[in-house]
Amino acid sequence: MFFQINSRSTPLTGKHTIGCIALASSLLIGLSGCGSKSDAPTSTESAAESGSTAAVSNLTGTIKINGSSTVQPIANAVKEEFAKLYPNVNVSVDGKGTGNGFKMFWDKETDISDASRPIKPGEFETCKDNGVEFIEIPVAYDGLTIVVHPKNDWVKSLTIDQLKKIFVAGDAAKQWSDVDPSWPEEKIEIFSPGTGSGTYDYFREVVIGKSEASLRNDMNLNEDDNVLVNGVAGNPYAIGFFGVAYYEESKDKLKAVEIVNPKDDKAYLPTPENIASGAYAPFSRPLFIYVSTASLPRAEIATFVSYFLENAPQLCERVGYVRLPDEIMQRAAKNLDEENTGTHYVDGEGNSRSGAVADIYQPENLTK
Amino acid sequence: MSTLPSAIVNQDEQYLVDNARRRKQLSIWFYFLCVAIALISVVILVVLMVSIWSQGQSRLTTDLLTRAHSELEIERSGMWPAILGSLFVCGTCALVALPLGVGTAVFLEEFKPTQKVLRWIHGFVQLNIANLAGVPSIVYGLLGLTVFVYMFNVFGQIRVNESAGMEIMGYKHFYQVLTLEPGHVVFAPQTDPTVRQITFDEPFQAVDPDGNPIEISIWTPGTPKPTDPEIRRRTVRSGAIGGTITERNWYYFRLPFDKSFLSGGLTLALVILPIIIIAAQESLRGVPSSLREASMGLGATTWQTVRDVSLPAALPGIMTGSILAMGRAIGEAAPILVVMGAAVAKSSGPQHLMDDAVTMPVLIFNWAGRQQDEFKELSAAAIIVLLVILLLLNSTAIYIRQKVQKAQS
Repeated sequence: MFFQINSRSTPLTGKHTIGCIALASSLLIGLSGCGSKSDAPTSTESAAESGSTAAVSNLTGTIKINGSSTVQPIANAVKEEFAKLYPNVNVSVDGKGTGNGFKMFWDKETDISDASRPIKPGEFETCKDNGVEFIEIPVAYDGLTIVVHPKNDWVKSLTIDQLKKIFVAGDAAKQWSDVDPSWPEEKIEIFSPGTGSGTYDYFREVVIGKSEASLRNDMNLNEDDNVLVNGVAGNPYAIGFFGVAYYEESKDKLKAVEIVNPKDDKAYLPTPENIASGAYAPFSRPLFIYVSTASLPRAEIATFVSYFLENAPQLCERVGYVRLPDEIMQRAAKNLDEENTGTHYVDGEGNSRSGAVADIYQPENLTK
Repeated sequence: MSTLPSAIVNQDEQYLVDNARRRKQLSIWFYFLCVAIALISVVILVVLMVSIWSQGQSRLTTDLLTRAHSELEIERSGMWPAILGSLFVCGTCALVALPLGVGTAVFLEEFKPTQKVLRWIHGFVQLNIANLAGVPSIVYGLLGLTVFVYMFNVFGQIRVNESAGMEIMGYKHFYQVLTLEPGHVVFAPQTDPTVRQITFDEPFQAVDPDGNPIEISIWTPGTPKPTDPEIRRRTVRSGAIGGTITERNWYYFRLPFDKSFLSGGLTLALVILPIIIIAAQESLRGVPSSLREASMGLGATTWQTVRDVSLPAALPGIMTGSILAMGRAIGEAAPILVVMGAAVAKSSGPQHLMDDAVTMPVLIFNWAGRQQDEFKELSAAAIIVLLVILLLLNSTAIYIRQKVQKAQS
C-alpha cells in the first residue's frame, strides 16, 4: 500500500521539480544573455558601422543621477542623445525630488543632483561637512504658471500682494471678494503641488520670502500635476499653480493669469519670450544640475556633463522648458572648465540669495 | 404555540396561501438583489477595461513592445525594458517566496509540536503570519530598503568614487582614461581596489577589449602632438586621470544589494510570503487526515508522508494561492518605488545580478503622471500589456495545475 502511494505520487513531485528548475534556468539564461552587453570594455565594432558624423565611442562607466522630477525629463533627454554617441555608458536618472536628491548627493550616492530650485544654505552646509564639493550649473528655465478656470472673467492679472492675500496663512482671503470687493462672493478653491516638491518651495519663497509665515494649510495639495489641472478645470472659482510645461499641455482647459512684475508694474503672461527675457518675474525659475567634483575626473562624467551643457538649450525646449540665455550658459561652461566649485545662491554669511538667475549667477557671487 | 400568529394556529387557508406567496416574492427580490450586487463589480471592471482600451488601443504598436522609454520621441516610447525588468523581479520573487512559503506552511501544518514550549513558538509564528498578511506593502518597501538595499551598512556603503560595498565575485576593475583621440578611452588594469583614481605621468600598459596588452605613451603639453589617429588612440596626456570602472559578469555579486532588481524581488517576496503561506496552509488543511493516517500507519515517517501524500494532494490549492500571489507581485508599484527608485529611462533589462531595472507598474505610474497626452495614452496601452502578460502567466500556471491534477487522479 505504501509503495502504491509512493509510485503514484512520484511523477508529480518529479514534474514539480522540473518546473522549478526550468523557471530557475530560464531566469539565468535571460541574465547571461543580457550580460554579454555589460557596461565594460566591449568591442569597438559598433564604431565602424556608425554612419553618423561622430564615431561611436568606446567610453564606458556608470553615471548616477537623482533629484528633481521636474528636471528628470531634461536629464532623460540628454541621456537619450548621449547614448547614441556613447552607447556603453550606463546613465541612471531617478527623480525622487530635489530635497531627497541633495540628501543622496551629500551621502555620495550620486554623481549629479538635479534640482528645481537652488541649493539651500542648510543643504550647502551639510555638503561642506561631508566633503562634497560641486559645480552649480543652470540648465533651463521653468515658468511657474498661476491658472484659473476659463470662465473666470474677473481675474486678468494678479500682483504679488494679491497672491499673498490668497495664499498666505493667517488672514487669508476666504472669498474672491476678500481680495477685491468687485470680485464675486464665492469661496476660493486652491490647488497646489505637494509640500515636498521644489515647485511648492519655490512658490512659497517668492510669495512669502524669508519671513516666518507659511502658505495656508486648507489648500488641495497633490503631487500629481494632472490632478491639479483637473481640479482647477472643474471649478470656476478655483486657482492653482504648477510648472509652465503642464500649462502648455492643457491650454484649452485653463487660463493663465498675468503676473504684475514688481519692477515695472506691468502684467506679463508666462510665454517663453517673457520667461527668457526675465519679464515674467518673479515666477520664472531656473533649473539646475549639481555635479560632484569628486566624480568629474572620471572620463564618463566629464564627457557627459560637457555634453549636457552643450545640448541643454536645444533639448530642454523639446521637452517643454525654456532655454537659458547663451550668456548664462557660457558662464556655466566657464565654471565647469575652471572647476569653480560652490553655489551662487548662498552668501558668505550663510543666507540665501534670491532674484533673477542672470543677476545671481555671476562669478563674484560664488561662495565656496 | 403562543408565539405563532393565530391565523396559523387556526389553519386559516387564505392566510397560508398569501403568506407563502409573500415569502416567495421576497425570495425572488433577494435573488435579484444578489445578482445586482454581483453585477456591480463586473460593471466596474467592464467600464475600466473599456475606458483603458479606448484610451490605449491606438498606442498598442510594436514600438511599445520593443522599444524603451523615450523623452524626445514620445510617440515611439516603449516598455520592453520594463517587461524584462518585471519578469526578472517577479522571477526572483517566485524563486524565493515559493519554497519559503510552502516550507513554512508544511512546518506549521504537518509538524505540529507536542511540547509546550514548542507549541507556544508554533502559535507565535502562526499569529505573526496572520498579522503580516495585513501589513501594507509600502512598509515592506521600507523594510527592504534597510535590509536588502543598505543591509544596515554592515558591509560598507556603496558610494560613487569611494567604495562599491563588499564585492564578492564576477567583477574586474580598470582605470579608464581618455586618449588624445576625442571620445576614445583606454583601460589600465587595477591592482589596488582601494585606489579609485590614479594619475598617468609615465608610459603604461593598457589592455584592449580582447584583453591584449597595449603600450600607451604619454604626451606632455608643449611637445609636438601626434596627428595620426592610430597613435593618438595610444597616447594619453601627461597628468591624465584614470577613474575606476568595473567590468561585471552576469553573476556579479556584492553586498549590500543596492537598488538592484534582486533587492526588488526579495522585497516583493516578503510582500507575498504571508499570502502564499496562508494559501498553502489552507490547502494542506484540506487534505483528509485519513490519507496521512494511512501513510503513517504503514510506517512512513512524517517527511515521507509530507513528500508523497500531503504535498501532492495539496498541490493544486498551493498553486492557486501562488498564482494569486504572483499576480499581486507583478502589479506592485509602491515597494518597488521605495526600493529601486524610478529610473524609467533605462534602455535595457538588467545586465547583471546587481543591476537596476524598471518594472511595468513603475513605468505606468510615471507615464500616467506626465503632462503630455501621448504619455497618458501610452500608460493606458501599458496597462493593457500588463494585463495581457498577467493573464498569460496565470493561464500557464492554471494549465500546469490542471495537468498536475489530471496526473493525480
